[in-house]
Amino acid sequence: MRKTAAAGLAVGLIAALGFAVPASASTSDSAQLSVLHGIPDTPVDVYVNGALTLDDFQPGKLAGPLTLPAGDYEVALTAPNAADASSPILGPATITLTADGDFTAAAYLSESGQPSLKLFQNDTAATAAGQGRLTVRHVAAAPAVDVLAGGSPVIEDLTNPNEKTLDLPAGPVSASVALAGTTEPVLGPTDVQIQDGVLTIVYAWGSAEDENLALAVQTVSVAHSNPGGVPSGTAGYLAQRDTTMSFIALAGAGALAIAAAAATALAMRRRQEARR
Amino acid sequence: MRAGTPRRHGRDGLAMATLIGTVVAACLTACAPTGAGVTTPSPSPSTPAPVPPTDVVEVPVTSAAVPPPAARIAPDRLVIESIGVDMPVVDVGVEPGGQMQLPVDPAVAGWYRYGPDAAATAGHVVLAAHVDAVDYPIGPLANLRDVAVGSTIAVMAADGSTRTWVVESLTYYEKAALPTDELFAREGDPALVVITCGGPFDASTGHYRDNVVAIAKPQS
Repeated sequence: MRKTAAAGLAVGLIAALGFAVPASASTSDSAQLSVLHGIPDTPVDVYVNGALTLDDFQPGKLAGPLTLPAGDYEVALTAPNAADASSPILGPATITLTADGDFTAAAYLSESGQPSLKLFQNDTAATAAGQGRLTVRHVAAAPAVDVLAGGSPVIEDLTNPNEKTLDLPAGPVSASVALAGTTEPVLGPTDVQIQDGVLTIVYAWGSAEDENLALAVQTVSVAHSNPGGVPSGTAGYLAQRDTTMSFIALAGAGALAIAAAAATALAMRRRQEARR
Repeated sequence: MRAGTPRRHGRDGLAMATLIGTVVAACLTACAPTGAGVTTPSPSPSTPAPVPPTDVVEVPVTSAAVPPPAARIAPDRLVIESIGVDMPVVDVGVEPGGQMQLPVDPAVAGWYRYGPDAAATAGHVVLAAHVDAVDYPIGPLANLRDVAVGSTIAVMAADGSTRTWVVESLTYYEKAALPTDELFAREGDPALVVITCGGPFDASTGHYRDNVVAIAKPQS
């Protein structure tokens, strides 16, 4: 599904690309923005700087990423099909996108169930070779939780609207969410794929009281690291064989030379004998 | 965001040209005494396509539901007929010290599982094997140094597919100077990279000085 944004935002995006084209390595004037809708049962229209940007945005959906010039943006959420942003159900709120940053704006429920908006910055620092990154964000109307991987807690006492981040070996993780201090899952277990060079963001959203807690997942490519080298020989047998082969070759050449010299000497002697 | 694609392409073209330049330069110095072959393919000029004028931005909207794991096509056999190589391939990762993991047995090659897979349309599929290891016979990739430019390499994969690659260059790198960021590239034109060891052996460290690296392009 694709939605069309208003022209005001478009101009900003084109300007950003205009900067980026000549200086291919530099993105210093732009930021990445995604938007997560984590308020159950409430489709919205999203206005950015007064312009309709996401029409009929559904809960559990993720929009973006959009490349935008760094700076302040005013975000407002209205009921679907509102004429404009003048009577928002959430906002208007100002979000600040800093240069080179990767952000997710989440519309979510506070611990007490109030619709809220928060801008999270995604950690895009390079991961080590063979490692991926997991960020867990608690944006559900629910008390503090623990996050379990394979049944044992890896993140403890995470409260709304906070996040925790850790780097893990790449591979599948059986993740579940339990109320803090317990191990009985309220969400999951679900297999979450930790990928080398990828930030996987898991959101716990919805409402415990309304029994619609759910997990949402966003992935962001981050800088990865390559192996430092390829140590592909440890015995030296090949080098040994090469040395032996060249010795044999040398010895062979030597033997030939001796034989040739002997033959020459013999021939000369015969000629001398013949002359006599 | 669509407008970003041509730019990326241009960068990758440049990176590939740089890589080829590096390979050529390295071969002029490092490979000359060993007689290793090298080609100088002319990289096709890649000029970024003009950014199409547009007055709308399409904002992609996707479900944030937990995605199923992406299917990866693991290579499982490496065949280089011209030099008598026919060996199984297993997937490998990274040693604690950050080096690429390798199967202990030189008769088995490792595929770097975090890089592009057997069906990759971009980036480098990296396979490597020990040239030798204590208590094992010398491995099949001991012959890699003799592979001719233009030879074919077949890589079979777990899904039953076979992909044929054509050797474009063979290069000796001193291990300390192995351009891992280029060889393990995840973007750019697809290539198969086969790595083993070679050059002089230092008995005091138990290591060869060089890596022998063959780079092959998809057969057209």
